Amino acid sequence: MLSQSTFGAITLLAALTTTVAGAQAFDDAKYPDWSGQWRRIEGGPPRYDMSKPPGHGQQAPLTPEYRALHEQSLKDQAAGGQGFDTTYMCIPMGMPRQMSGVFPFEFIFAPKITYILFEMMIQQPRRIYTDGRDWPKNEEPTFAGDSIGKWIDADGDGRYDVLEVETRNLRGPRVWDQSGMPMHADNEAVITERIYLDKANPDILHDEMTTTDHSLTRPWTATRNFKRERKVIWTENNCTEGNNHVVIGKENYFRSGDGYLMPARKNQAPPDLRYFKQSQK
Amino acid sequence: MRNSIGSFALAAAMIAAAVGAQAFDQTKYPDWSGQWRRPSGVGNQWDTSRPPRQGQAPLTPEYQAIYEANLKDQAAGGQGTDPTYICIPDGMPRAMNVIFPMEIIIQPIVTHVMIEYLSMLRRIYTDGRDWPENVEPSFMGYSIGKWLDEGGRGRYDVLQVETRNLKGPRSFDASGIPLHADNQTVVKERIYVDKADPNILHDEVTTIDNALTRPWTVTKNYHRERNPVWVEAICAEGNQHVRIGNENYMLSADGYLMPAKKGQAPPDLRYFDRTRK
Repeated sequence: MLSQSTFGAITLLAALTTTVAGAQAFDDAKYPDWSGQWRRIEGGPPRYDMSKPPGHGQQAPLTPEYRALHEQSLKDQAAGGQGFDTTYMCIPMGMPRQMSGVFPFEFIFAPKITYILFEMMIQQPRRIYTDGRDWPKNEEPTFAGDSIGKWIDADGDGRYDVLEVETRNLRGPRVWDQSGMPMHADNEAVITERIYLDKANPDILHDEMTTTDHSLTRPWTATRNFKRERKVIWTENNCTEGNNHVVIGKENYFRSGDGYLMPARKNQAPPDLRYFKQSQK
Repeated sequence: MRNSIGSFALAAAMIAAAVGAQAFDQTKYPDWSGQWRRPSGVGNQWDTSRPPRQGQAPLTPEYQAIYEANLKDQAAGGQGTDPTYICIPDGMPRAMNVIFPMEIIIQPIVTHVMIEYLSMLRRIYTDGRDWPENVEPSFMGYSIGKWLDEGGRGRYDVLQVETRNLKGPRSFDASGIPLHADNQTVVKERIYVDKADPNILHDEVTTIDNALTRPWTVTKNYHRERNPVWVEAICAEGNQHVRIGNENYMLSADGYLMPAKKGQAPPDLRYFDRTRK
């Protein structure tokens, strides 16, 4: 039988713990520490599979149709064009390319959403919904897509350590990397990710990414590795400021250092000025 | 008695464990979740309580003259002193016009203000830090904030913010009301939810700028959408403005360069092989 003082203490305990638990709407101690600024570890041209060389070295499992398109893009780039890479116009890279980590990003954990925010302003923020919701219906597709995630306690220590994400509802045009390797025009790509800290080094983050896309003969898996900067300085990376590409119709030109329009490729014809009064030309 | 001590010790241990786990007590902070939009029917002028353009801003004579010239240029088809037509970020304070929706994420060290248009992002540091040294100025500036419990209810209800270290060019709104070229702007804000309606947010914004004869205070109001759908507002996509040198041209619907103003001369094509025309 409990004494009166013991009963009082237990009542107090119950009252206090209820208050604390009630106040604890979001227990961030359940989540891993992914704070700070993350950027890629591997150098060289940004590419989907950072463990392999760029361009042909990627050994992308492209269908014959999309392999031919990639060759076309490379040929155009070799001639001074941009191929199928649209980011020179400050169009967002979209998923999965926006996870390249060329420019830094950060995570924010909230009860229903994990956000990934990118310093490069043309990248749309990723909102990864972790509240168990189903795929939305009738939403406009976006470059970042709709992402649904699930936190996993893979090692059973009572704290989440892996974020599993699936991303759909994408729009295009998107390419795999700056070589202009195209993703399928049907925009039906599905990207699954497993994001977790390195077991040996908490300042390294891994993102195992598998992309299913009709430009491929099979799903393509690669692991992205990011390193953490804990003392963060954020800058603004605004693509349009100082962007010297000028797109007129289907042609890309450059702005010269002294402010004149100039060709972007050898022997490029000037733009058609039919809408200007000829006397002013 | 020994049982009581043991019980209290257990209680203390459990509470300590729970508190230790609670690094961020969300209930101390207001609920500003969801999507915030400017009220429907409100224009995009800086002071929405007044008609747009003339009579808005307490400009110095020098900057009033710049503004007048800007209005004249806009009337002739130009963009005046509004730099955003080439997808330059609005910057502060204009970003708080919230032409496209805004989300506020409250965290212990920093409150993020995300604005859908151009992915404009403000980080408001609330950890008591001082102004940083040698940080590059930016359109959104550097913001330091302080949470206040003005209602005395044990929960923060007002976020006070000061923003400095801005870069330009910036204008207050699309009419081109200019901020000073020295970019010494200081923006002070008080952000809070309406006492009568938790789905209305107010932002009292005071701008101190050398283009102004006195600090200029306006109150911005936003309405909450609790079940938001987020879209992408990508300025560069479909932007028909083409800037070459100091001139702005337009792209025609059929993809040709065209004048933006009556009688505008075409661009100088000196770097092209004219024999290829």
